[in-house]
Amino acid sequence: MTFKKSPWVFVFHGAGCNGCNLEVLAVATPRYDVERLGIVIKHSPRNADILVVEGMVNKKNADRIRTVYDQMASPKVVVAVGACAVSGGPFAESYNHAGPLDRIIPVDVYVPGCPPRPEAVIDGILKGVEVLERASKG
Amino acid sequence: MRVHDFVMPVGPQSPAIKEPILLKVCLEGEEVQKVRMVTGYTHRGIEYLLEGKNPDQALYVASRVCGICSITHERAYVRTVENILGYDAPERVKAIRTVLFELERMQSHLLWAGFMMHEIGLETLFNYFWREREKVLDCFEKITGGRVHHNINKIRTLRYDMEEEDPEFILQQVRSVARKTRDYYNDCMKEEVVVSRLKNVGTIPKSMALEWGLTGPIARASGVRIDTRKIDPYDWYSRIDFEMAAGKRGDALERLKVRLTEVMESARIVERVLSGLPDEKIPPHSLSRVEGEGHARVEAPRGELFYYLRFKNNRVERAKIRTPSFSYMKILEELLPGMVVGDVPVIVASLDPCFSCLERVLVEKNGRVEELREKEFRRKYSCPG
Repeated sequence: MTFKKSPWVFVFHGAGCNGCNLEVLAVATPRYDVERLGIVIKHSPRNADILVVEGMVNKKNADRIRTVYDQMASPKVVVAVGACAVSGGPFAESYNHAGPLDRIIPVDVYVPGCPPRPEAVIDGILKGVEVLERASKG
Repeated sequence: MRVHDFVMPVGPQSPAIKEPILLKVCLEGEEVQKVRMVTGYTHRGIEYLLEGKNPDQALYVASRVCGICSITHERAYVRTVENILGYDAPERVKAIRTVLFELERMQSHLLWAGFMMHEIGLETLFNYFWREREKVLDCFEKITGGRVHHNINKIRTLRYDMEEEDPEFILQQVRSVARKTRDYYNDCMKEEVVVSRLKNVGTIPKSMALEWGLTGPIARASGVRIDTRKIDPYDWYSRIDFEMAAGKRGDALERLKVRLTEVMESARIVERVLSGLPDEKIPPHSLSRVEGEGHARVEAPRGELFYYLRFKNNRVERAKIRTPSFSYMKILEELLPGMVVGDVPVIVASLDPCFSCLERVLVEKNGRVEELREKEFRRKYSCPG
């Protein structure tokens, strides 16, 4: 089984400022066009191999992230995009911060930045593909 | 179970709505009967985070309210503080701020137009609009170094001045965006798919717009002539003559027209400002000492953005942010009933909601998060209303 040419990605929008959301969506648009790498952004976690989480984990969406993660089929990889998902970022001191993300679900790839550039997001996803390959070979 | 007891959840993670919000849609067949909105998925406690920070630190938090209109939030914060200080910035600072402000409006509207086309299934136009948006982001990168968050506004001044070759590059990009936008605008108005999906969908009559206190492109599409840049001018808006885009019918198609017209108008504003850019040095940045309270408003891409700040001992004691999305989110519960379920994402998208901007109040009790409506909140926490 190989994922190298066809990783499907599900994007989870956490409690962010939308900045990372835009940069993640920008990778699907003409200038960055991730489909040339076989990466497709899917709208259902059940079809996805890679879970991209952007935005802070707050008390209300922590359960949702866990649900989405559980719905995905193994092997699966989680990519945390942006400072908020990685560490809480500018909102780390907030009363509503329930993260960072790796306290909720296991994270394989961290993409720091506020927000990271689309190139960094693509690199993060491709690193996730390597993890997938290793996981599928056992 | 009766048929209309069927409740379809739209969100919080849904392909139809990009941002996390939960709409509980009660259906009778295809028709929407009732809608209940559940928010709280993007609440970050920004106003709490602002408190206790000094004026220069708080600026960075303010810009993180929203990633789409980061410059707008910075500008509103800086305008509030400059109001308190009674400071009037030099002309070059004002001019560059105006340019940045209009570039922000252009990228926000193009982004929205892309999403709108995505919702009605025109992926090609989505990609076209986002390709144009990248050109505006290039301008931002040239001036500020950032694509999404810029942190260029400072109290009294700017972090960076514009380089000598920047205006030419910006003009070139902005002209190209305006030309393409005009082409797409004409294509959209001729395209049967766009017109039939958007015409008479989610109509907000003028009376309703006034009653709900709508601002921004939505109000202008309904025929309310309101624009903070005109009624409370700041920066160079009083010096520059520009047209206010206006519609009449107030449906989704009119909102598309108004927003695309504003992109072209913003391009013209940028051209005019850059042609008269004063040649002077911008003041160096120094830490500020601020006491007292003040408020200010600016015209964000989505409407009027209001800031209230109170400083004590050079720290933010209380901050209140009222974003444009706040005034038109509850209107969804009134707009959606009677429409078919396929139009729900179209209407939500046509309002251009920004849920990151929107969410402010959250109450936690016994480890359970509950969200309250304004009336319940006032009753429970005995706020004077």
